[in-house]
Amino acid sequence: MTETIQGATRTNDQQNGQQIESIEVSRFARFKNVGITVVNLAVFFVIWELVARAEVINSLFFPRASDMFAALFNGFADGTIWPQLSHSLTNFLIGLAISAAIGIPVGLLMGASKIADLILSPYVWAMTSLPRVALIPLLILIMGFGNSMQLTIIVLSAVFPIMVNCMAGVKTVEPSLVRAGVVFGASRLQIYLKVILPYTLPFVISGVNQGIARGLVGMLIGELLGGGGNGLGFLLDRAGEQFDAPMLYATLILLAVMSVGLVQAMRWLEQRAAPWRDISRA
Amino acid sequence: MGQVEAHSAPGAQHAADDRASEPALIEAVHVTAGYDNRREHTRLIALRDVSLQVRRGEFLAIVGPSGCGKTTFINLIAGFVKPIEGSVRVRGEEVTGPGADRAMVFQDYALLPWRTVERNIRFAMENRRGHVPKAEQAERAARALRLVGLTGFEKSYPHELSGGMRQRVGIARALVTEPEILLMDEPFGAVDAMTREAMQAELEKIIAETRQTVVFITHSIDEAILLADRIVVISKRPGTIREVIDVDLPRPRFDEQADVQRSPRFGEIRSHLWSLLADEALGAKQEVATR
Ligand SMILES: Nc1ncnc2c1ncn2[C@@H]1O[C@H](COP(=O)(O)OP(=O)(O)O)[C@@H](O)[C@H]1O
Ligand SMILES: [Mg+2]
Repeated sequence: MTETIQGATRTNDQQNGQQIESIEVSRFARFKNVGITVVNLAVFFVIWELVARAEVINSLFFPRASDMFAALFNGFADGTIWPQLSHSLTNFLIGLAISAAIGIPVGLLMGASKIADLILSPYVWAMTSLPRVALIPLLILIMGFGNSMQLTIIVLSAVFPIMVNCMAGVKTVEPSLVRAGVVFGASRLQIYLKVILPYTLPFVISGVNQGIARGLVGMLIGELLGGGGNGLGFLLDRAGEQFDAPMLYATLILLAVMSVGLVQAMRWLEQRAAPWRDISRA
Repeated sequence: MGQVEAHSAPGAQHAADDRASEPALIEAVHVTAGYDNRREHTRLIALRDVSLQVRRGEFLAIVGPSGCGKTTFINLIAGFVKPIEGSVRVRGEEVTGPGADRAMVFQDYALLPWRTVERNIRFAMENRRGHVPKAEQAERAARALRLVGLTGFEKSYPHELSGGMRQRVGIARALVTEPEILLMDEPFGAVDAMTREAMQAELEKIIAETRQTVVFITHSIDEAILLADRIVVISKRPGTIREVIDVDLPRPRFDEQADVQRSPRFGEIRSHLWSLLADEALGAKQEVATR
């Protein structure tokens, strides 16, 4: 990827033509941020190791970083982690896909149609504010301890923030843009496709971002309380019962990496989807 | 002061007078318009009993205190607002909605931020109504950009442009559809003073070339006088037509030699408009004070 930046050295307003100057961006600049992060994390784990070695806190609650990494490595080596991680990840991605497939169109519809909004919003708001845990007993009653219960709780957690954000996005579309659409001959469908949808895209993405955060919580409570005997939640639960602090911390680290990874992926997507938004904010 | 009888000025015979017998292009007949407040069961009357004719090729400016119904009037012509009483006609036909014969330039530009300049202009040609064949679109867009002096900025995004440049894109988008009528609602209201003057001069040049009929709302008295053939002064809410003033200044008005802004006639019209609008402003203040 070559870095060219459009220079702001445009000539007078009156004049035609523009000047774009390429500027040099140091090779190091790109690696600098990565470097800072690596050093930052290294320092974090070193401090962790030192504090744990000082044994100020009982090692039963606070293991050494090195023990945590050992548990992580062994867990992958002996096959205790990977099946659970892949179970959680698969479930989560399927749940997120279902949530997006339901949440985005319904949310857009609620934003665009007063009647749909009127009919659906009491349920949507009730479901958005209801703590997910409260649903677990009912879901177990209906679906038992299987995978479908875990998947359902992920969807129920993620779908509503997506819906609400999409709805809000449609409602914030600038009226003058819609008017411009009407003036310049766009049909209703064309206004949706060419004005409202692109305008709403950043909201859709931030809805999905919230859906990821909520969905992860849903995934964990489903695995912790659902008693299905699988997933990262199960690993956490078992490590806790066995007083296996290194494994407990290793699982938490895995969860952190998983959620950061997903959020970063969305951020990347957001920049692809709406570059104009980012630049106009700056 | 204020004895200037602006419409019956002798001398400079106005071009529009020659066409006086021709039927009006835009015609408002006893129009009353307003907005219903359904919750409180009230109706705000924004314009009351407004009758006005706009001739083909005329540049009509509308001035008046804010909230007097200027935007409402332009929206009636655009077809966004329906009159409560009376009718608005274009070429003798009742306006029932927006149409390809009328294009609008918005105060806030209303450009699609995710589209480049060129694609914003193409937006006016690619929709269901007023669709232009693809092959022709590029050529027309290029011509419109040349007209507003933005050649070379095709690939720029609106956020990369200054306010004045954005509004030129807005103007180009309106011109590219070759509408008979150009509706402009305070188009230069958000650009700085220097750019504003340059854009007024440019607009005069463009209109001289394209010969559109223009309805132009402005806050600025000078802008109205410099651009318009006639100025409609609307009184405060509910808006009624206070006076219609013929601007019998020679064109082009942005010519260095002509120096219209320093001519005695410009000054006369200006002070007349000032006194009219000062009345309105004072009236509004008194109304507040006596409450
Ligand atoms: N969509 C609307 N709903 C309700 N009231 C409106 C609406 N648009 C304008 N008004 C009111 O109508 C009056 C005239 O508004 P407008 O035509 O925008 O005035 P102007 O453009 O001269 O400032 C104002 O009092 C304004 O508050
Ligand atoms: Mg207005």
